[in-house]
Amino acid sequence: MEKKIYYLTEEGFKGIKKEKKVLENLRASKINGEVPKIWESEDLNPDYISFQEDMDFLESRLSEIENILKNVKMIKAPAKGSEELIDLGATVLLEIDEKDQDELMIVGTLEANPSLGKISNESPVGKSLIGHRTGDKVVVSSPVKTVYKIKKIRYQV
Amino acid sequence: MKGFLDFFNEVGKLKGMPRRGWVIREIKNPESIAEHTFRVALMAWLLADKKKTKMNIEKLIKMALIHDLCEVYAGDTTPYDSILPKDKKKRREIMKTWPRFSKIEREKLTKDKFNKEKKALIQIIEKLPIELKKEIKSLWLDYEKGLSREGRFFKQADRMESFLQATEYWHKYKKPMQKPIWLWARELFDEPLILELIEEINEKFYKGSLLKE
Repeated sequence: MEKKIYYLTEEGFKGIKKEKKVLENLRASKINGEVPKIWESEDLNPDYISFQEDMDFLESRLSEIENILKNVKMIKAPAKGSEELIDLGATVLLEIDEKDQDELMIVGTLEANPSLGKISNESPVGKSLIGHRTGDKVVVSSPVKTVYKIKKIRYQV
Repeated sequence: MKGFLDFFNEVGKLKGMPRRGWVIREIKNPESIAEHTFRVALMAWLLADKKKTKMNIEKLIKMALIHDLCEVYAGDTTPYDSILPKDKKKRREIMKTWPRFSKIEREKLTKDKFNKEKKALIQIIEKLPIELKKEIKSLWLDYEKGLSREGRFFKQADRMESFLQATEYWHKYKKPMQKPIWLWARELFDEPLILELIEEINEKFYKGSLLKE
């Protein structure tokens, strides 16, 4: 298994722990030939049905989760005095090329999903924004130049 | 065999389905969904082979082959779809930049797309034997949600193939506009091998210089 540090937000960590529990319950129920009680749960993710149907898939996901939990590093609230700087866990309001606005959260690769406004700290834009403060202009260029002006930084953690 | 034949007939349609991302950008004779699948399968295999940490190549290639099957019925969607006007001039204006949405809009668009595609996938594999159905559904879910290293790696390779195609079209037709494509890429890619390939593309197609559109 890959030895990589997985940065997770509190929400992401809780999500992974919950998924682990659900999958372990599914596995136990399957082994005992029972209909898993978890199906009665209102917040059940319907995608878990694939795990119920496919034990190999369930086992491989469980082993992936165990690997993640072994190598997890929690994204913590910034130290006093560092709240003004962008780091992992920051939600940043940006003005892009003096036209568009967007709010992006800087997360680890595991939680990154630009379609949902979460960008990886290892992506070129994520990397460039880290360490900057409100008012700074961050230029990401080559071959096209884009200017990200930092309007606001906030932390939920 | 009837179930297999029906399935092959249906997926064959992907050979004649142009990718919507290029159609809305007015690319002449754009590639089909099946053509995209061909190259992304090769990319996923060869790039994964180059990675130091071992990955399951068989899983990656299967994932590549099935990842867009749902598009036979769900069609090909793009991030612009919900905001695209019919007027060509206005369209071109919108496509000068990457579309930005609120958190609520983003969540809705992502959820709707996922549900529509999941339904379509279930429909297209309906006549296959149960074990194959299970495997295809699991592979698709893995890709969609990034549940394994292969799922996450493949998602980046998939986007990379589109990125490379965009660059090749630009080189040939001076379309699509490069600004939004690069903007998207710089926020999306974080896999080291893919980032290395992007820098290679930058060197090869732009000689590392600044592009003005």
